[in-house]
Amino acid sequence: MTSESYQDWKDIVHRCFRCGYCKFTHTYSDFNCPSYKKYRFETYSTGGRMWLIYGLINNDLKWSQNLANVLYACSTCGNCTENCRFEKFNDFLVDIIEAARAEAVKSGFCPENQKFLLERTKDPNNFNPYGEKNSDNINLKTKYNLPEKAEWVYYIGCTSNYRQQDLRDATLRLLKKIGIDFTLIDEHCCTSPLIRTGQIDIVSDFMNYNINQINNTGASKVITSCAGCYRTLKKDYEKLGADLGFEVLHTGELIKTLLDEGKIKITSNYEKIVTYHDPCHLGRHMDMYEIPRDIIQSIPGIKFIEMKRNRNNAWCCGAGGGVKIGYPDWALEISKERLEEAKETGATVLTSMCPFCKTNLADANKEFNMGFEIIDLIELIDQLEIEVNE
Amino acid sequence: MNKEVIIKDLEEIVGKDFASNTAEDLFMYSQDPGASEPRPVDFVVMPRSVEEIQKIVKLANREKIPLIPMGGGLTLSGLVIPIKGGIVVDLKRMDQILEINELSRYALIEPGVSTGKLISYLNELYPDLQPAIPDAPPSATVVGNALIHGSGYLSQKYGNHGDMINGIEVVLPNGEICKLGSCSISDYWFSRGPIPDLVGLFISSFGTMGIITKLSYKLYPKPKMRDVVFGMCRDPNNIPNLVYKITYTDLAEDLLLSKTDKPDYVKDLILVMVFITGDSEEELESKRKMIKRLYRKNGAQFMNMPERTLKGLLQKPQFAAAAADFRKGGGFEYVGSFMPLEMIPEASKRAAEISYKYDIIPTQAIRIIGKGHCVMFAPTFAFNRADPLDRKNARDALDETNKLVLELGGIPWKSEFEGQKLIVEKMDPNYKNLLKTIRNILDPNGIMNPGNWEVS
Repeated sequence: MTSESYQDWKDIVHRCFRCGYCKFTHTYSDFNCPSYKKYRFETYSTGGRMWLIYGLINNDLKWSQNLANVLYACSTCGNCTENCRFEKFNDFLVDIIEAARAEAVKSGFCPENQKFLLERTKDPNNFNPYGEKNSDNINLKTKYNLPEKAEWVYYIGCTSNYRQQDLRDATLRLLKKIGIDFTLIDEHCCTSPLIRTGQIDIVSDFMNYNINQINNTGASKVITSCAGCYRTLKKDYEKLGADLGFEVLHTGELIKTLLDEGKIKITSNYEKIVTYHDPCHLGRHMDMYEIPRDIIQSIPGIKFIEMKRNRNNAWCCGAGGGVKIGYPDWALEISKERLEEAKETGATVLTSMCPFCKTNLADANKEFNMGFEIIDLIELIDQLEIEVNE
Repeated sequence: MNKEVIIKDLEEIVGKDFASNTAEDLFMYSQDPGASEPRPVDFVVMPRSVEEIQKIVKLANREKIPLIPMGGGLTLSGLVIPIKGGIVVDLKRMDQILEINELSRYALIEPGVSTGKLISYLNELYPDLQPAIPDAPPSATVVGNALIHGSGYLSQKYGNHGDMINGIEVVLPNGEICKLGSCSISDYWFSRGPIPDLVGLFISSFGTMGIITKLSYKLYPKPKMRDVVFGMCRDPNNIPNLVYKITYTDLAEDLLLSKTDKPDYVKDLILVMVFITGDSEEELESKRKMIKRLYRKNGAQFMNMPERTLKGLLQKPQFAAAAADFRKGGGFEYVGSFMPLEMIPEASKRAAEISYKYDIIPTQAIRIIGKGHCVMFAPTFAFNRADPLDRKNARDALDETNKLVLELGGIPWKSEFEGQKLIVEKMDPNYKNLLKTIRNILDPNGIMNPGNWEVS
C-alpha cells in the first residue's frame, strides 16, 4: 500500500479484538497464516501486529530492530483479510502492515536484506530490484519486430525480464501468435517490492516514469504476466492518485476473453495431471480466481485437480512481502508446504500465473527434490497449438 | 532474579525460537482483549512436550518465579496475564489430537488444540461425532475452555464443558506427571470414576494447581439437521417457567435467551432461541410444532427471523466476537455468571440498570446449562480500547455486576482476580481453608499463577 504513515490508520487499528480468525483456513483445519504458523507467538499473527502497531501509535512501544522484524516477517499474502470478520476493517489489514513498514523505514529500522531492494532499484544502471543492468527492451523489440506505437503495451516486469525469461519469451511469442498489436517500453520496476516493504520514497517517480513511457506508445491497454506488477499497476497506482489513461490487464484476462469470443482455440492435447497455485497478488489481492481455471479447463486432454486449499483459501508460496529476500530459507519452507499439498493431488505439473511464485516454488522444488514440473500457465499454453480465428 | 540466566535456561529447554523476553512479545502477553489493565510479564515460552514443561516447572521452582499456563488466551478476564509477573507458558504448540475413540466417544488431545481444529478434524474424519465448544472464536482451545467450566454449544443437553472431561494428565507444581481419571488405571480415557474424583481440583483453578498436558474430552452424536425456533417473551417473569417447561421436554439441544435495548423496538423483549436437531425434516417439524405450542402456553410467542440471523446462529462456532465490534473499539468483556434459574428476572433487570449507569447499552446473553440446573447469565460490556474512560466504565460495570451476581446467589464465572476476591470473601471459611491447604501441599513455592484464588 501507499500510506505514508500508520498514523493514517490510528482511528481504526484498535478495532482488532485479537480473536484469531485471521490465522486460519476457512474450515479452521489448520493455520493459513505462514507467519503465525512458523513463529507461533501471538505477536506474529496479524492480530498481534495490529496490537503492536497500536502500541507504537500510543507510544506504549518503541521502535526496535526486533519489532521491525516482526512486521517484516509477513508475506502480506492477505489470508488475514479474507478471514477477519470485522467489516470495513478486514480490507485494510495488509495496508496497515505496509504503512507500519513505511514507518519502520522512516525510523531507520528497515531490515538489511530488504534495503537491497531499494538500493538496487534506485541505481540508475538497474532500475530493478535484482541489481541487473537495465534492459531497455530494444533488442526484444527488434527481435519480435515490435512497433513504436501500438494498441497494447506488454509490461514485462522485473522478475520475468531478469529471472524468468521463459515466461517473458512465452508471453511475447503468444501475443505475436494471436495477433495482438503490442509493443514494449523501456520499463522501470513497477515498485511492487518497494511498496510491499515500506520503501516508498521513489515510488511516485517510478510510477510517473512508467506511465509516461506507456502513454508515449499511444497504447490504451497494458498487459502483464506478473501478478505483482498487475496488482501494482492496477491498484497501487490508482491509490497513489495516478490518472492512468489506459486499462491494465493480466495476460490471463486477455486469453480468457479471446477464448470466450472464439478468437482463439487450443487445439492440441496436454495429457498431464495439473494443479494450480493461486498467486496471492492475483487472487486475494485482486479477486482473480476463475479465469486461470477456465483457461486450464479449455485445454484438451488436461486433467486438472484442485489442491485442498485453493482460491481465497490458498496457502501462500512464501515469496511476497519481502520474505523471499528477507527470509530466504523460510520462503522455501512455505513453498515446500505448498508443493506437499500439490503432491496430494497426484499432479505432476504445478502451474500458476506469477513469475515470483514460479521462482519460489521452483526453488523449493529443486531444494527439496519434489519432482514437479513448475510452469506458468502462459508458458504451458505457448507449448500448445492454437487456432487463431479472425 | 537473574533474567539473563533464566532466558538462557528457557532457550535451552524449548529452543531459541520459542522462548522470549523481547519488548514486543512481553507487550503482547501483558494484555488480553478484555477490560483488564496490562500487567508486566517477564518471559514467554512455548513448550512442545511434557518433558519440556517439567523442566520449565523445575526451573520456576528453582528461581521462585511464577508460571502462567495459557491456552487460547480468550477468557477476556485476564486469567493468563500474570498478576505477579513471571513466565507465561503458551501451550499452543502442543496441538496434537492424540486419539479419537469413536465407540466410547472421546477425544484425547493436547492443551493447544483449538476448538476450530477439533471441529474440522471431526467433520472430516468422524462426521457423526461432535464436541461441545464455547461461543468463542475458533482459536479458543478445547482444554482451556473445559478447564474454566466453559459453556456454549451443547450445554443445555449435556451440561457445562468442565463436566465433559473424562480425565487429564497434569504436570504438578513439583514437576511430577500425574494422570487423573480412568487413565490412571486403564489405557482408556473414558471416565473420571469410579475412583475419588480429583479432576475437579483442576477445573476453574486457573492454572494454580498445575499444567494440564493431555485431556480426554467427551464427544457426542451429531444429528444430521439443526434448526432454531425463535420466540419472544415480553415479561421476564415468565422466563423461569418457560425454560423449565422447554427443558422438561428434552426437545432442545441448546437454549439461549438474549436481551438488548437497541434498536428501540426490541427494548422490552427477551429473544428465546431453542436449537433443535433431527435426522429428518419430519422430526424437525414435529419439534418445531411442539416448541411453538410451548411458547403459546407459557407466555411467549413464536417469531420468524431473517435467514441471515439463523445462519449466523447455526455456525460452529458462532461469531460471538462480533460483540467486540459494537463500539468499533476492539474491546469486550462480560460477567459470565452461573446463576440459579429463578433469579434471572431480577438479575436481568438490575444488570440493565448497571449498564445504563455506565453509559453502556444493556446487552445480555443467557445460556441454559444442563436442563436448567444452572444458567450462564452474561451481561456484556463492549468498549473502545482507544478510550480510557470507556474501558474504565466497562471495568466498573463488571465489578458492580459481579457484586450483584453474588448478592443474588450466583457466582461470577472465570472471574478476573478482583472478582475472585469478591467470591473468596463470600466463600465458606472451611472451603477456603481446604483450598489453601491443598494449594500449599501441591505448590509450596507458590509458583502456579499466583494472585488467583488467593486465600489469606
